Parts: sequence; C-alpha cells; structure tokens
Amino acid sequence: MASRMFKNIRWLIPGTGKTLPCGDDSEIVVSSRVRVARNLTTVPFEFKMKQADAEYLIGLVHSIIDGKIAGEFLNLKDLKPLEKESLLECHLVSPGFIKKEKPAGVLIDEGGNLSVMVNEEDHLRYQGIGCGLNLGNLSTLVFGAEEFIGDNLEYAFHDDYGYLTSCPTNIGTGMRASVFMHLPGLVFTGEAEKVLKSALQMGMAVRGIYGEGSEIRGSLFQISNQHTIGFKEEDLLERMTKLARMIIDIEKKARDTILAKARNEFEDKTFRSLAILRSARTISSGELLNLLSAVRFGVGAGIVKDITLETLNEIMIIARPANIQLYFGELLEETERDVKRAEYIRKRLGAG
Amino acid sequence: MLCDDCKKKPASISFKEVLPDETIELNLCDECAAKRGLLSPKKLSPLETLQKVLRQRTAQDERVICPRCCMSLAEFKRVGRFGCSDCPATFADHIQYLIKQIHHSDRHIGRRTAPGTKRGLEIYRLREELKNALEKELYEDAARIRDKLRDYGIKDV
Repeated sequence: MASRMFKNIRWLIPGTGKTLPCGDDSEIVVSSRVRVARNLTTVPFEFKMKQADAEYLIGLVHSIIDGKIAGEFLNLKDLKPLEKESLLECHLVSPGFIKKEKPAGVLIDEGGNLSVMVNEEDHLRYQGIGCGLNLGNLSTLVFGAEEFIGDNLEYAFHDDYGYLTSCPTNIGTGMRASVFMHLPGLVFTGEAEKVLKSALQMGMAVRGIYGEGSEIRGSLFQISNQHTIGFKEEDLLERMTKLARMIIDIEKKARDTILAKARNEFEDKTFRSLAILRSARTISSGELLNLLSAVRFGVGAGIVKDITLETLNEIMIIARPANIQLYFGELLEETERDVKRAEYIRKRLGAG
Repeated sequence: MLCDDCKKKPASISFKEVLPDETIELNLCDECAAKRGLLSPKKLSPLETLQKVLRQRTAQDERVICPRCCMSLAEFKRVGRFGCSDCPATFADHIQYLIKQIHHSDRHIGRRTAPGTKRGLEIYRLREELKNALEKELYEDAARIRDKLRDYGIKDV
C-alpha cells in the first residue's frame, strides 16, 4: 500500500490483532454497529465546554487507556482533511466528529472493531462495528471498554433518567444499535417498503443508505433504534436481532422466488456486473454501488464462486472517495479518482 | 385483491368496523386509505418531538438557571442540549415531560455501573502536578508526588 504522503492510514489495513470474526448472514447483513454515549460529572458537557476542558478530557482518557487498550489514539488536530474523511468512510467516527473545532480525539483498537470518540457530542462515544449480524459480540466489546474506562472516573447518571447525555434523544441507555442490510430481493419484489414499515412500528428507524428520496442506491438499508430509555440493553439487542432475522428470512424467500422465476436473467445481470468491475477503466461511486449490489447477490446465491464477501466489503470501503486517494497516496480529482478506483478494483478482483 | 375505492391498485390494508346493524369491511391501497384519513399521521422522530416540545417557551425560562454551568432553561430550549450533568436535575420539572414525549418512557431500567474508583482522575491529576513541579524545579514536591503515583501502582512515572 503506497503511503508516501500519509502516515496515519493504519486503520485502512484490516486489523492484525483480535479482529472480531464475522457474524451471521453476512451475505445480507453488511455490518452491525453498537454505539454507547457517556459523559463525566467532572467536566461541563460539550455545549458549555471550554478549550481547556476539552484538552483536559483528551489527556485524561488518553492516560487511562494508554497501553491498556491495544490500539492507536488519534488527535483530530493532527489529522489531514483526507484522513478525517477516511475515518468517516470506514465508519470509525461520525460526521459530527470530523467537523469539531474544539480538541477531540479517537481511539481505534488494533482489531479495527472498536473506536472511542472523545469530545464528540458527548464526552465519550464507544462504538463497536463488525460484519454480519453480530450485535451481541459487539456490545460485549463496547461495554468492556465502557466499564474499563468508567471504573477510572465517574459517569453522569441520574436515578430515573439513567446515563445523562448532551441531547435528550440519547438519554437513558445512551445506546444506539444498528444493522446495515443489503436487500435486493425485497427491492425487486416491491416488498421493501412494507417490511420496513413493520420495523418502524417496532420503534426502529429505517433509512436507505446512499441516494436520496425514493431512489435507493445499491439496495442498502440501515435499521436502528429510535428510543434510548425504558428498556434493558440486552432486550433491545435481542429485539433488534429478531427483527433482522425476520427481514433476513423474507429477503431469502424473495431471492429464492426471483431465482426460480428468472434465474437466467439474474445470472446474466450478476456476470455482466462482474465483467464491468473486472474490466472497466473508470467507475464512479454511484455506479460501483449498483454493480457491487448485483455481484453480492450472486455471491450470496452461490452463482459467483471465486469472490468472497470479505473482498466485496473491502472494495465497498476502500473504493470510497477519500480512501481511494489514501490507498494510492495521491490527491486525486473526481475523474482521476474514477480511473484509480477502476484500477484498484481490477487488481482486487484479479483481472488485468 | 384490488382496492375497493380506486379498483386499480392492489389493496394493502384492510379495515373492519363493526356497527350495530352491519359490519363494514374495506380493503384499500395506501393512497386511498390516506385519502379517507385512515392512516395514522406520520409519527414524529425523537429529534422532531424534541424540537416541537422545546418550542413551548415561557417568560419564566430565563430565570431557571443551572447553578453549575449557568445554562438557563431558555438557553436549553434554544439549543436542545444540556450544559452539564446537573442541568437535568435543575430543569427537572420540564425534563420529565420532555423525555416521556420523546421516548414514551421516562424511566431508565437498563445498566447501572458501580461507582467508579476515580482512580484515573487521581492518577491524571498527580501526573499533571508532577509535570508542573518538574518544570518549576521543585524536586522535593516531585519526589512526594512520584511516591503517591507509586502507591497507585504506577512504576513508570
């Protein structure tokens, strides 16, 4: 991996440490995420925080985790704009985090599954991310870090309202769990809207990822909990896992129906998409999402046998605008990026 | 089954109303159900609910002030963010209703962490003191602080 210009891109290299094994149904569930917000009693919250408070908090957290959680602590001020974008594209930090003007930092564990943002909207935001349906293991990882750091200081807690957060929409458990799903079957059979509406009725928020309005790019959806208080953490994770399993079942049935009715058509679409990925000389981000969607469907259905889901997941991340520039170690204009993206994909898929 | 109203689109929802002398059953598509006003209004997201509740302002709001971070209730309603961990208790009368509106619950029943030892806070404070003492060349103080850090099991000071 070329990196003449950028030193801090280790998070782009898949973890060498204790990377969490992929969860269930990874052909449908691209990734799962668990995020927990915590604040300290001893420092004002983000809105009232002074520069010195922010610096204090970074020093404090850094000193607590120093060497105890294997990983790397990155100070926001030391990062170049492209590196910040890259962290966002890798889902290791939030959009709000990279826009922060006050001192902020993030710990990324060596496996790349855990990140701890310091001075985002809350003092501490623990996040676990991993492929497949894996909320249980991710919450173990997140709460492990939350307990370890919490034992060294004092979290803001109210007897009735639970963990106190900057924004009342996060109060209570401070927890947000989400499942990122690829649902081409439901999109094709037109059931997507109906199925996702039932998720809404269960108090979950659903949104199409990438693309605006009714146009869903790449058939990708994210489901997350709307409410954060009034339930036990493990119960929410269980409810969410059950909901995801239900959607997975319907998606699998939809895929079977599609293949039974129009196998040739779908095999053709899959292999044509793969052929484009293996030979195109320029590919935009938008086009890539749709091509990957078709190939992912093919891999899940066993139509494509020489490509793994891990490879597709990796392409989805590395091929994004900032990451592709870091990967090649050069600043690239949009049209140049499209060319380099195609080059990277051809190489990754073992083509000329 | 086609929608009873437009007879064009497939019905997606069925309604049943039992009246004293008849039972009305309707099978409608989403659009026609909406036209008859049978679909529940769009549910507000937590953030939308927050913004809606915070728009209810009174003249008293300027006078309720958090003694610790100086945030007034009026400021809280403008920005929708607490200023510190004492704010929720300061604004208690207003907060309970707010939380209930947003989350349909105002009672945390999840995890409770055991009170921390605050070890990290203390070690960090001592380290900062040590740095200061060394900068000012107060070596006796520095030695004393170093011993305290060693008591915490910190060898590498």
